[in-house]
Amino acid sequence: MTGPRRLGVPYPTVVRAAQDGRPLAVESHEVDAVRESWLVEDRWWTDRPLRRRYWEVVTTDGRDLVVFHDLEADGWFTQR
Amino acid sequence: MPIMRTCVRVIACLLLPRFELAVAAGGREGLMGEPAALAPAPGREQVIGEVSAGAEAFGVRAGLRLGEALARCPRLALVPPDPAGVAEAWESLLARLEGMGAAVAPERPGLACFDVRGLRGIHGGSVEGVLGAARRALRGASERPLAGARLGPRSAPGGEVAGARLGVAPSPFCALAAAGRARPRRPPVIVPGGEEEARAFLAPLSVALLRARARTAGLSDSFERLGVQTLGELAALAPGHVADRFGAAGLHARELACGREEPLRPRRPGERLVVGLDLPEAASGPQLERALELLVDRLLARRERGGRSLRAVVLSAALVEGGTWRERVVFREALADPVRMRLVLAPRLALLPAPAESLRLSVEGFGPPAPDQRRLLEDGAAVRAARLREAVHQARAAAGPEAALRVLTVDPDSRVPERRAVLAPFEP
Repeated sequence: MTGPRRLGVPYPTVVRAAQDGRPLAVESHEVDAVRESWLVEDRWWTDRPLRRRYWEVVTTDGRDLVVFHDLEADGWFTQR
Repeated sequence: MPIMRTCVRVIACLLLPRFELAVAAGGREGLMGEPAALAPAPGREQVIGEVSAGAEAFGVRAGLRLGEALARCPRLALVPPDPAGVAEAWESLLARLEGMGAAVAPERPGLACFDVRGLRGIHGGSVEGVLGAARRALRGASERPLAGARLGPRSAPGGEVAGARLGVAPSPFCALAAAGRARPRRPPVIVPGGEEEARAFLAPLSVALLRARARTAGLSDSFERLGVQTLGELAALAPGHVADRFGAAGLHARELACGREEPLRPRRPGERLVVGLDLPEAASGPQLERALELLVDRLLARRERGGRSLRAVVLSAALVEGGTWRERVVFREALADPVRMRLVLAPRLALLPAPAESLRLSVEGFGPPAPDQRRLLEDGAAVRAARLREAVHQARAAAGPEAALRVLTVDPDSRVPERRAVLAPFEP
């Protein structure tokens, strides 16, 4: 049985971050500005909790990106 | 003087005692010695289902009210019922028997009969040969454990399905009695001959055996109270006396005791078409309706459907609190229209006793090919829709079922983006 194809699935990305977690560069593109940041915590009552710190950033080449830091698995992902 | 030939039936019975309990408990090993019983289904009458041998030792039996069962056996383990798992495991066993050519007449999960006569020619020419083939067919099957494989197929361990008993006799009821006397992994009990031999075999057996038939289940206690302890004593009663006291059901019970019974009604083997969806978190309400919408579209887009309409479907779910839920829906008329199917199926989701972890939709019966009649006066929209349907059909024929998809919003307000929408088959 195959599941449906989900939209907006996160993909791993490379992010250089500051000490406070703020992204400085996304895949070698320098971050020009952080537009917004928010925290998502879910399923904390299960054995597969979800904790993500989202960042919406604008890079120096003008791209608006949404990346998040997976606080459980300690990895960076990009998501549309 | 012309030679008179009587047609003697040879009926085989497969009996799996406590089948539903074994499936729900994840196998018979978990029932060894421990008092256990099937818990009442959520939202239903508070009576227990099948019980283990350990529970029977405490005087607990199926149909007892939950409070009384716990009073008789305080350490009684209650196993959440798994109707979807039972249906799946039972269907798998029946399909295996049908695979050896048997026309199977299932009575309830754990009990089925088939006529041996037509099978002797292809399985060695003897009843023993047919039963050997049946045992081989059942080998590798299992009562699918629930844990870890909720609503999913389970690879079966080797060996015959645990607890399987086989009996052969001239009537289905006598074959059931023979199977009840057989022991697992021992030669089956075979009652040769015809009606007289069946009657002789049944004669010393208790009238409690009548509980195995729904029509006569309520009579055995009455017979016992009146001093009729065995089937032989029942068969010896005059039909008129039995009819006076017990009516048609009593006459039927006497016929059974005499070794007479109506012919088997084998089921028609069908094909299985199943779609399922694991829900990322326990779902209910609008999320479940979205999931159902997705399942209906996926089911109708399956190539195996071959343009046929659907007559009956089964909606089942694994519940977050354990156990499963199953609802069979027969459409008033065979459908292939996703909107009408959703209209019929969506209200059934309200019957779910708890949030679901997964949802499954399977076809139980197909109808005729979906009518594609043209209207007398076609409007432009209908023509465009017909062209679109044809285009989608051709695209799928060339590139597979995922050639035409649409975005289906599942949980638009979710804070986690990947939960908001999925791609579902496009049905114009």
